[in-house]
Amino acid sequence: MNDEQLRQELQRTVAGVEADRVPEFESVFAAARAQVAATRRRHRVVGGAIAAVALGAVIAGLLPMRQPEWQYVDPEQLTNTTSWAAPSDVLLPQHSVDIYEEIPVFIEGTKIDGGSLL
Amino acid sequence: MRDSDVLDNNPCVSRSALEAMHSQVFGWALSRCNYEQELAEDLVQQAYVELLTGRARFDGTSSLKTFVFSVVQNLARSRFRRRATHLRLVHKAVPADDVQQFVEPLQTEVVWKAVRALPARQRDIVELVFCRDLTVEEASRVMGVSTGTGRVHYDRAKKALREKLKHE
Repeated sequence: MNDEQLRQELQRTVAGVEADRVPEFESVFAAARAQVAATRRRHRVVGGAIAAVALGAVIAGLLPMRQPEWQYVDPEQLTNTTSWAAPSDVLLPQHSVDIYEEIPVFIEGTKIDGGSLL
Repeated sequence: MRDSDVLDNNPCVSRSALEAMHSQVFGWALSRCNYEQELAEDLVQQAYVELLTGRARFDGTSSLKTFVFSVVQNLARSRFRRRATHLRLVHKAVPADDVQQFVEPLQTEVVWKAVRALPARQRDIVELVFCRDLTVEEASRVMGVSTGTGRVHYDRAKKALREKLKHE
């Protein structure tokens, strides 16, 4: 049996095997398209959920980082009165100052440009 | 090739070209699945999914037929690697007699029997060259071997077939 005879014999045999078994191209291709669409939908849902969780985490992470409202000491107020209480009890909880005793030390450690930052 | 015919993620592949080679691709998938119809249908559908999504992207360096056959071959390899592991586990759990054996069609055909008796690579190259009309070079590409290796399998397969058929 030469190559050509072998080829013809095999093609005949294979054609017999496959004749009634080949499914419609349309149905297989449509199923493939539907599978792709379903996968994309699933990915969009999962991606959306991940994005929402990530956004929530970022927002939650940013909230505690809000800057506190700084309060400044007004130098004129300090010089015009003989008593002074700290403007923020967060920065100086329950701290009162005797101006004559403590202010000189206090001012050395602060900037007075536009008021001293406590 | 009509514009609307071209796949979105695979600009070198058209739907009509796939349709034209569908029966050949299905035949190749059938032989990859030991002639199990459902598995072959699933394999071809999966190959089309790969082409539609662009995960398997055709760049025109080979013929489209060679490329699609390669996609089917690779999918079959990875799927049956998993399936073989599963079957090994099944055989451990269930006695071999209880596992349904698939009966291949046309076992009585002399030539067919001779081809099926060849070693896997020789059988594949004979099928690709003689039944699917690929060249030895294209067939080697589908099988993932060099052209030289493919030619050796091809020559050995032909020699073995002639030898077997001489005695029939």
